[in-house]
Amino acid sequence: MAEKKQIKYKTKETLATEGKWAVGEYKYKAWTHHEEFKENLKQKKLVGSICSSCGRVFVPPTYICGRCFRWIDKRIVVSDKGVITGFVLSTPMRKGMKILGMDPVEMGVVAEGEVLIPCTVKFHGSDTIVQTMLLNVDPKDVRVGMKVQAVWAKVLKGQLSDLEGVEPIE
Amino acid sequence: MKRKIAIVGYAQTRHESDAANTREGMVFEAAKGALDKAGITREAVDTVINVSSDYQDGRTISNLFLVMAEGAYLKDESKVEMDGAFGVLYAMMRILSGNHDTALVVGVTQGSIFNPHQISFYTVDPTFDRQIGLLNDVSAAAIQAKMYKNKYGVSDEQIASVSVKNLVNAANNPYAHRKISDLTVQKVLDSKLYYDPIRELNISSISDGACAVILASEEKAKEIADAPVWIKGVGSCQDSYLRDRNLLKLKSLEIAAKKAYEMAGLKDPFTELNVAEVTERFSHEELMIYEALGLAKEGEGKILVEKGVTERKGQMPVNPSGGALGADPILATGLVRMVEAAKQIRSEAGKYQIQGVRQALAHGQTGLCAQSNIVFILGGES
Amino acid sequence: MQRNVAIIGCGQTKHGRLRDVNTAEMIAEAAWKAMEDANVSPDEVDAIVVGNMQGFGGIYDTELWAGELFGAPKPFLRITTGGTTGGSVAHGGYYSVASGLYDVVLAVAWEKHSDSKERGASTGLAHVAMANIFHTMQQGASIKWLVSLATGAATGVSAFQASCYMYRSGCKVKHLDMVAAKSRRNAAKNEYSHLRWPNCTPEDIAKTEWVSYPLRFGHVCPASDGASAVVYAEEEIAKKKTDRPAWIKGVAAYADEPNLMGENSQGTAITDLSEQLQCILSAKAAYRRAGIKNPRKEIDMAEIYQPFPHQELMFSERVDLFDDGKAWIALEEGQTEIDGSMPLDPSGGVLSTNAIGSSAMQRVLECALQVMGKAGKHQVPKDVKNAVAHGWGGATNFTTITIVGDSPRK
Repeated sequence: MAEKKQIKYKTKETLATEGKWAVGEYKYKAWTHHEEFKENLKQKKLVGSICSSCGRVFVPPTYICGRCFRWIDKRIVVSDKGVITGFVLSTPMRKGMKILGMDPVEMGVVAEGEVLIPCTVKFHGSDTIVQTMLLNVDPKDVRVGMKVQAVWAKVLKGQLSDLEGVEPIE
Repeated sequence: MKRKIAIVGYAQTRHESDAANTREGMVFEAAKGALDKAGITREAVDTVINVSSDYQDGRTISNLFLVMAEGAYLKDESKVEMDGAFGVLYAMMRILSGNHDTALVVGVTQGSIFNPHQISFYTVDPTFDRQIGLLNDVSAAAIQAKMYKNKYGVSDEQIASVSVKNLVNAANNPYAHRKISDLTVQKVLDSKLYYDPIRELNISSISDGACAVILASEEKAKEIADAPVWIKGVGSCQDSYLRDRNLLKLKSLEIAAKKAYEMAGLKDPFTELNVAEVTERFSHEELMIYEALGLAKEGEGKILVEKGVTERKGQMPVNPSGGALGADPILATGLVRMVEAAKQIRSEAGKYQIQGVRQALAHGQTGLCAQSNIVFILGGES
Repeated sequence: MQRNVAIIGCGQTKHGRLRDVNTAEMIAEAAWKAMEDANVSPDEVDAIVVGNMQGFGGIYDTELWAGELFGAPKPFLRITTGGTTGGSVAHGGYYSVASGLYDVVLAVAWEKHSDSKERGASTGLAHVAMANIFHTMQQGASIKWLVSLATGAATGVSAFQASCYMYRSGCKVKHLDMVAAKSRRNAAKNEYSHLRWPNCTPEDIAKTEWVSYPLRFGHVCPASDGASAVVYAEEEIAKKKTDRPAWIKGVAAYADEPNLMGENSQGTAITDLSEQLQCILSAKAAYRRAGIKNPRKEIDMAEIYQPFPHQELMFSERVDLFDDGKAWIALEEGQTEIDGSMPLDPSGGVLSTNAIGSSAMQRVLECALQVMGKAGKHQVPKDVKNAVAHGWGGATNFTTITIVGDSPRK
């Protein structure tokens, strides 16, 4: 019979996250994986965790490799260049359109006629895809397989919005 | 049963009021712990059953993001959204069918996410009872407690002595949440009143916790474990809704217990069982459970506590681990009961070990006033 | 050693916006119809398996207060796995009888979206991501990002998946239009379906507005109210109760890593959302259990869980009815029509009727109807010896496969 092993894990304390739905308000605990992700975004770096057993790289970092069934404690920086693996084209934004109870054109969040392009990007070196926005491109030209690179916010605050999106590389 | 099935591994996390751990972390800890205890790897598991609740976890498809943490990657996986012991039943069915030989059952609830008493409000009938706004699991249990007290002349002191027994027992259990080694009946009676006669120390402690159990068919069990804990019998039954049933009796538990005893070949549970781990969400419930299990005659549950029969040193120890009063990670609680019963059989219960345990009973429940019940009979011999 | 199990009766309600019944009444209708069809009384039912995904409209554990309608006290099991709920419930019912613990089991799955307070509950997809979205918002994600996600909200991860699949297979939006039109036409033959359009053409679908490319409004499933139920029995009883039981020959339900994001938006190592490894493995395992060596020859029809049209094509390939990336050719050739050589979703499928909890159960139920010859106007005009019922759910990482046939396993 195997001895019960002590499991040591290197997560910091958990992060309280608040939410709400029809049943009521609630609060649950997340890991602090986004803290390290954001710290690196501020330095224009994309960080992931790498499993010592299978070598898979997870961006944003994850703490458990479900295939090898072990904790992951190593980190690695991946490239800020990659390829589009999937994308969606929104209908053109118009003033007066209500999205999530707000008018994004009126608010200046998007431009009149702008087509938003949520996409998934596989950054070189990562085994995961990151969901972000494709910028500075004509919607007609978007293809799966397009080579792209990260677009960083002009002012870096250590938040997810530091990675504004990706744009095509010529 | 067509095939014999045994518990060959198990683990639980410490149960706490607000653990410094995510539910994913707790699931991984429990699952990995159970595999380590069994001495097998994830690859040896054929099917995984997750036990968790969408409402309690604040997520639809509560098992979705737990797939990796519970070792279910590329495995036949499903979920049961009731007490954990029902998850074990489903895993058993999967093995009995012949499609699988081993199963891992993992249950988790972090009571700190949503107050379970708040969630219980949403299980109340929406057409009539919800509009009145007075019914939840505690107020419904209070109605039941009053009926029971009045009908059989049970005192608050007798009910409180269940709390004392279990919370003092819990002090010896390293995994328990609420341990009060110097608890007295008076302190229970002085604790905060919720709905008369139910007080703070009459209600199970809402915990964050996870628990995992590994099942194996006979051939595999003998390969894996040198002391498998055999499932001798199981029975389950769900009663009608609150207003449509007689709250004085836990009828569905009676039916479930009878089925389990029959399957296990038990004629006289009181003498043939050496220990019972039951899920008592309220102290008075434990007295009613004694009766439904046939350990006491109708209305005489109070006699067992008066005479100390269900104390650790008594003839029929009940909840030496502290029971749900000691730790209640809601959907994981039935699994914890099974683990605690298995530990007794394998002499692994440390400070609260009962001597000479060969057969144990484990009980789990779901629903207002113990509406749905499941009973397992576990045994140590082949 | 293995016990043979069959479906001996099916029952479902009409699906749509049902405001004249409450949930309990709706479930009762399906359950009673199934028991009548099976020729069993409630007393003969040993246990009940239930499931639904009431998306947070505030009604939880319906079977606790609806219990009397099934003849409580009885053993119950509640199984809820998202989109695959109905399939998981169907498996739960199968395993209950296959285990030998029970001989006759009723399995019921349902959804009553119109009772929900929140529109987001309509597909349940928004709530899967909800906790992750709360988390991400608290990490300083931009409003623009949130708006960009919301524009595709009805379609969620499926929209990205469609884009992956189109790249992988070469299929075009017109193929999605063709699948959607076929679904509406087939649904018109099915008295229980929700969206019916007897002569719907791909051009009709192509006229609908875009939700977000590549999905149009015409491609999106409805949010239906409805319940479906089946009664399972072990072999001896099944043969007594009906001349044509629908035998469950093989089941499997593998889980993959969540696609696109993990708990609280951690990374997950799946880059092609259209690969669906768990579906490939589930199908292999189910065929093996059913003794089916060549699905293309031995399977006569399939009910694929397709809330979005690309999924009919994609999953029919993953359950090995067509080569990877070639299902659209079969579609163009008419092979997947009701009277084709490999009819897919003759009932109309989830595209035209989606009561989330019930939908994957309906796939099993529809296959059973086809095997039993009871599918009425949408009965496929050929002998159905073996049928595949498929379900998917989760973050497209869950699958349930059930092989239904006209004879028990040997």
